[in-house]
Amino acid sequence: MTVVEQTGAPKTTPPGRPRRRPSPLGSKWTPYLFLAPAALFILVFQAVPLVQEVYLSFTRTRLLNPTRSEWVGLDNFNRIFGDPEFHRTLLITIIYVITCVVVAIGAGLVVALLLNRKFRGRGVARALVTVPWAAPGIAVALIATWMLNAQYGIVNRFLDAVGLGVPGGAILDSSRYALPAVLATTIWQLFPFTSVVLLSALQSVPQELNEAATVDGAGRWATFRAVTWQVIKPTVGLLALLMTIWSLRRFELIWLMTKGGPVGATETLVIDLYSQAFDSKELGSAAAIGMVGVVISLIVIIGSRLVARAVEKGDVR
Amino acid sequence: MGNHRALFGIARATCALGLVATLLTGCGSDGGSGDGVTKLTFAASTFGDPGRGPLLTKWLDEFNQSQTKIQVSAAAVPYPTFGQTVLTQMGSGKGPDLVRFDMPEFEAASDAGLVAPLDKVIDASKYDLLKQPDQFMVHDGVRHGVIFEASNYAMFYNADLIPTPPTTYEQFTATAKSLTKGDVFGLAFRQTEAEEAGVWQDIFNYVYGFGGAWSDGKNLTINSPENLKGLQAFKDLYDANVIPRGADAATFRRMFAEGKVGMELNNGGYVTATRGQNAKLNFNVAPIPFPVRKQGTILAPIVINEASEGKDEAGTFIKWALEPQNQVKLQEILGASSVATTTQRSAEKLKETPFLPVFDGLTDTSLPQIVLGFEAKTPDIRKVVVQNVIAALQGKTDLKSALDRAQQQATELVR
Repeated sequence: MTVVEQTGAPKTTPPGRPRRRPSPLGSKWTPYLFLAPAALFILVFQAVPLVQEVYLSFTRTRLLNPTRSEWVGLDNFNRIFGDPEFHRTLLITIIYVITCVVVAIGAGLVVALLLNRKFRGRGVARALVTVPWAAPGIAVALIATWMLNAQYGIVNRFLDAVGLGVPGGAILDSSRYALPAVLATTIWQLFPFTSVVLLSALQSVPQELNEAATVDGAGRWATFRAVTWQVIKPTVGLLALLMTIWSLRRFELIWLMTKGGPVGATETLVIDLYSQAFDSKELGSAAAIGMVGVVISLIVIIGSRLVARAVEKGDVR
Repeated sequence: MGNHRALFGIARATCALGLVATLLTGCGSDGGSGDGVTKLTFAASTFGDPGRGPLLTKWLDEFNQSQTKIQVSAAAVPYPTFGQTVLTQMGSGKGPDLVRFDMPEFEAASDAGLVAPLDKVIDASKYDLLKQPDQFMVHDGVRHGVIFEASNYAMFYNADLIPTPPTTYEQFTATAKSLTKGDVFGLAFRQTEAEEAGVWQDIFNYVYGFGGAWSDGKNLTINSPENLKGLQAFKDLYDANVIPRGADAATFRRMFAEGKVGMELNNGGYVTATRGQNAKLNFNVAPIPFPVRKQGTILAPIVINEASEGKDEAGTFIKWALEPQNQVKLQEILGASSVATTTQRSAEKLKETPFLPVFDGLTDTSLPQIVLGFEAKTPDIRKVVVQNVIAALQGKTDLKSALDRAQQQATELVR
């Protein structure tokens, strides 16, 4: 009998069997082999377009004649930053992103805390709360638009009934109410995700710590702050980062509900980018706006990493 | 041995990549020849029109049945995104072979060289083309399109609510105000940015109906006193709450069909659509009662995509469409619209739709909804004008300032 040792001894081939070739899976290239499809996908569909976008942002390129491109240096950036309407777009984007992040996480946390308690029908409640997240963005936008329709929308009927109706009922066509309406719809779609993620984080809070805090005389708020919050803090940080990036690039819901109107009241960066590219047919300006979005995303990501590092070191509580 | 294996691996990878590339290329193709049959795509927003779309598809089928080597299939792209979708495709050297454009997009496409010249495809002198609309199909002596549909704007009114139609703007306003009660509105027009192209079509009638124009052919005249007067009339009706504010065209057209809207300014194509929604609706049509008898018209040319690989075959289709019997069929499908050539309306059709002559009588005073002299820039100017007019409707600024701003922004665009 041939004994094959785990280490040290050279491998031997059993008599009568052909000699096996060394498995390619054992080579030093194996990790790269597994990474290759994903890397190729990212290279083709992310990196190449990004490089193209950077190039486009320094050119004057018309959508109808993309081959007749003209290098204009920083002209596109000078123009967009010199335009007061772009400043308004940036402001609306910031308002939209911050409100989405804060309210979606806040509402998600409240719902997660409620769903973490024991009560009859908890399973059904947990399932129901995920419905808006499961629905596609387009469906959510259409449902919201119907509900907010000036003529037969249920929201107007309700607001009229309680004496808070918008004159004419045109919520989405009012420059005062359109942004809150779009924000409410976005948050309605987003908060189930945050609540589900936070619920799973809450379930990892050691029960004995909570009990110890209670025994020590800590109230609910103190227990939450000292125990629960410390455990779920990294999850909240990750959610905040994800929500920020998602909100920055959220397009379909705003476009389907208002197309950025009325009078630019809901025009965020991505809507402005789309309008420049496909309405004004100026690909160069659109790419420049896209670059602004990329820079903001990078700032958010780097900033969040720095904050996370500082928290780990204990510099920030 | 090792080298052979490596080479074999490379060859396999190359084959796999080649296969993927071939599949992707196949997906991107819009048509082509298979079994000796050239397959063409004809894109038109009207194919999605519930009233006319199915009839137009049948009309295409008649062409297909008459051919052995060419097949044309319909591509319905929704009206609100039609220009954007098709222009983007054509800009990248792809897109449908045949396109039914609206005028602003037609001008932009032909200016960008995306439309094939038709002079060698059809001999215009052989056809009795309608002169007034057809003149806009030719740019610098080169024909870029043929009228597929020409549809003048008139006033549709619900005859049960309005026995005698208004003949002046004052009567028009008074009628709209007197009808507005509960869930019934005297009038309806588009007033939201989400329907930019539609708002442009609606305000066009007010501008021209009060003696205004977007340009004098050489300079933009967006903030002229006449335009201000016309758009003030539009805003006064908005402010008077006689329209269902916030309602999009689909909503208020259904309301019109249900008898909940008294009047609407619309084009001949709307006749079939309205009957499709409510065959029993008692409605009638009269000229728009504004001080100047001048109004918009929907001119919808059919063009051949410059990037099409089946230009000759597409030309065959256009020639088939221009044959007298096919023009008559097309006109009957399109309702109160006209087609490229002069056709006679049958006694049967006149009995069924007695107001057809109202539309026909407006042809000489109708203008396509483009900015004359700045045709290719119309979509850009439209965006600027509509945004500023809506800002005035919303009370963000007064109308005069809004038009001054639009004039300045649009002038920068065309400079």
